[in-house]
Amino acid sequence: MSPQKILFSPVTRLSGLLSVELSLDNGIITEADVSSTMFRGFEYIMRNRHITDAVYLTQRICGICSTAHGAVASYLLDQLYDNDISENAQILRNIMFGADFLQNHIRHFYFFGLPDFVIMPNQPPFLNQNCSDCRLDDIDNRRLAGHYIDAIKAAEKSHQILALFGGKAPHQHSFVHGGVAVAPTADKINQALALIHDIRNFVQLYMMPDTELISRCYEDYFHIGETPGRFLSFGLFRFGNKNNQVLWKPGILNGCRLDQPQLDFIQEDISRAWFERSESTEQGEVRPAPRKPGAYSWTKAVLYRGQHYEGGPLARMTINGFYNGGTSTMDRIVARSLETLYITELVEEWLHELEPGEPPINQKKELVQDQALSVTDAMRGPLLHSTRLQGEQIERYDIITPTSWNFSPKDDYGNRGPAETALVGTEISAPEFKFVIPGRIIRSFDPCISCATHLFDHRTNTIDKILY
Amino acid sequence: MEKNEFLQLCRDNSLAGNHKLSARILPVVREYLLDHSTDKLPVIWLETSDSGDNNIAFMNATYPYLNHVFTNMIDLIYSNTFMAAQGSDALLLLEDTVNHFRGRFTLVVEGAVPTKDRGIYNVIARTKNGPITALEAITRLGEAAQHVIAIGTCASFGGASSAAPNVTGSVGVSQVLEREVINVSGCPVNPDWFVGTLAHLLMYGKPELDEYNRPKLFYGFTVHHHCQRRSYFDKKDFAKQLGDIECMFSQGCSGPRTGSDCPYRQWINHVSWPVKVNTPCIGCTNPDFPDGSAPFFSPLPQKSKAEKDDNHKQPPMTEGEV
Ligand code: SF4
Repeated sequence: MSPQKILFSPVTRLSGLLSVELSLDNGIITEADVSSTMFRGFEYIMRNRHITDAVYLTQRICGICSTAHGAVASYLLDQLYDNDISENAQILRNIMFGADFLQNHIRHFYFFGLPDFVIMPNQPPFLNQNCSDCRLDDIDNRRLAGHYIDAIKAAEKSHQILALFGGKAPHQHSFVHGGVAVAPTADKINQALALIHDIRNFVQLYMMPDTELISRCYEDYFHIGETPGRFLSFGLFRFGNKNNQVLWKPGILNGCRLDQPQLDFIQEDISRAWFERSESTEQGEVRPAPRKPGAYSWTKAVLYRGQHYEGGPLARMTINGFYNGGTSTMDRIVARSLETLYITELVEEWLHELEPGEPPINQKKELVQDQALSVTDAMRGPLLHSTRLQGEQIERYDIITPTSWNFSPKDDYGNRGPAETALVGTEISAPEFKFVIPGRIIRSFDPCISCATHLFDHRTNTIDKILY
Repeated sequence: MEKNEFLQLCRDNSLAGNHKLSARILPVVREYLLDHSTDKLPVIWLETSDSGDNNIAFMNATYPYLNHVFTNMIDLIYSNTFMAAQGSDALLLLEDTVNHFRGRFTLVVEGAVPTKDRGIYNVIARTKNGPITALEAITRLGEAAQHVIAIGTCASFGGASSAAPNVTGSVGVSQVLEREVINVSGCPVNPDWFVGTLAHLLMYGKPELDEYNRPKLFYGFTVHHHCQRRSYFDKKDFAKQLGDIECMFSQGCSGPRTGSDCPYRQWINHVSWPVKVNTPCIGCTNPDFPDGSAPFFSPLPQKSKAEKDDNHKQPPMTEGEV
């Protein structure tokens, strides 16, 4: 077979728009260009707004992990205003954040992932499913396809917990700077406990066995879509009156070496992204350049010490010692399901710890800093917000999203990002697998493109402190 | 690009490479499309410039749940988020739906439409003949559809995607189509508003629309009109901070100028809404959201003047109360 190009576009069952161009030689993927094909320019939108608007407006970056943006913006404002956060507020914040994680992971596994491995009924929205490598026997297949419907309710219940305390979902309202505006009353706690009980049952009785079955049937995927084992997490679930304790620890793992991530080492690279530096404006500022030759994505490459790093459940689980496996497609899937189970248990525990009473919120009114930087992990990996103010107005607001790490295009040296690395070297053993196999690999990263296309410029960012 | 060229693009793409499998499957699909959908709405859902939140909101539909919507109300044939098909197999379905259901399918658009640089900031798919921008796809599919529904505030009016300084020149769907668009706004939409609009189309035809082309059923009265805290407002009993139980007007509430039934419908199985958790309504269904609601926590009279000259985009306050 002579070298061949495959245009995989659109990649479906994810959030946002993604295309991938693959080069195939003798049935082996020899090159992969992952291309985010949408740009909204949120950093421009954030400028000249009142800083407190960030808690609601940045949630509009992403509909599937909006609470993550609300959370990191709240932590950022807590620094800027020097808020003290009560323990009840922290518990409540984590309950809401955890509930959004559950929604994301359940929907990713069943709505986006399941049709990769299970034959779905021949009706919309499953028409034209390519089932040439679906391996479950008839009975198992029918059972798992049926779980799609149970997942609809389990995920909706996760968002019910978020809405109970946050007012609505996506884009909750009450997790703001200074704490949480809602009163955690006995009836709400009780209602949430009943919901988490159902969700936990679903995860234990359906999601875990389903994951186990799929990982057994598709065991070869423990060796397909591997990455070099460089993982990054900014940590998850904060406690302490200054958001200073992190329940799931942050880390930067390179092979066996685990360190604390430091902001100084983060760089962005726009050599293959549709951006250019503009000399006329503030030093180093970048602006969109949709016709830039050689570029192929609206996502910028983000590097740590000059190397690409992978984020997400597998990174968190591995860094925290909760999972000790490989770096493959199936490892990513298994780690996500495991994380779902852990979080259901945490949310239930926190609901028991929550003290019923007044709204745990105390917002200070005076800014004490004019710049701040804050991090967390979102569902699919590390998330960073940083800002510089002029009075109470935003002068700059920079965001590095998880998908920028995982779906980095190539950097100046031609090094590939994690998703590209996972694709290259993969064997496409038959022509009808040309979307099937890459689709499984790509989706295991839980890509979300609406959040991926942002600007960050470390060189002009004046904050270069150590994060932890 | 002409319509035929657009279809040709999809077709060329499907012919490129090896499509033996699709060729085997497609006749079955075609038959399915012809036999079914007599009493369900065939739907093409395009995601353009947005955050995907309306998709998630749609998944939160309760009574009917999502599976009921799929079984009894719509045939969601093309949807970047839900469809099992991928790559050019997915584009084939788009082409097939347009061919077989011309004038009978419903086009749902989620997201704003970038118009600057001929729409290059949003490409729904790449083909070997070049990118298909959201602008091209919506223009062509919009002409062939029976109904066009804009879901969410980005698709309805530009929303957050078109917020100042709007570097991508994003606009709402109705601004690129010369036809009626039913706007089901919200950031995100309450699934009831969207599923309810579909139900109305199916059972009783087109719903009655307000001046912004939104179904009056859901947007006909302001949040303020229905609000549980209205008696506080009338007594000028205003909250001192977020978390208080009094009227949220002092905390930036946009309820007096926002059409929606949040106070009694509420969200996610009807459990809550922003004022119920002691925070302000930020007016997310409005044509001028978010700029007209900013700063979110400043009382209405002090909000940004950014869009205030533009009368078309400016919903008035209700009943001269404020
Ligand atoms: S201003 Fe807001 S909180 Fe007050 S009564 Fe009106 S809608 Fe309700």
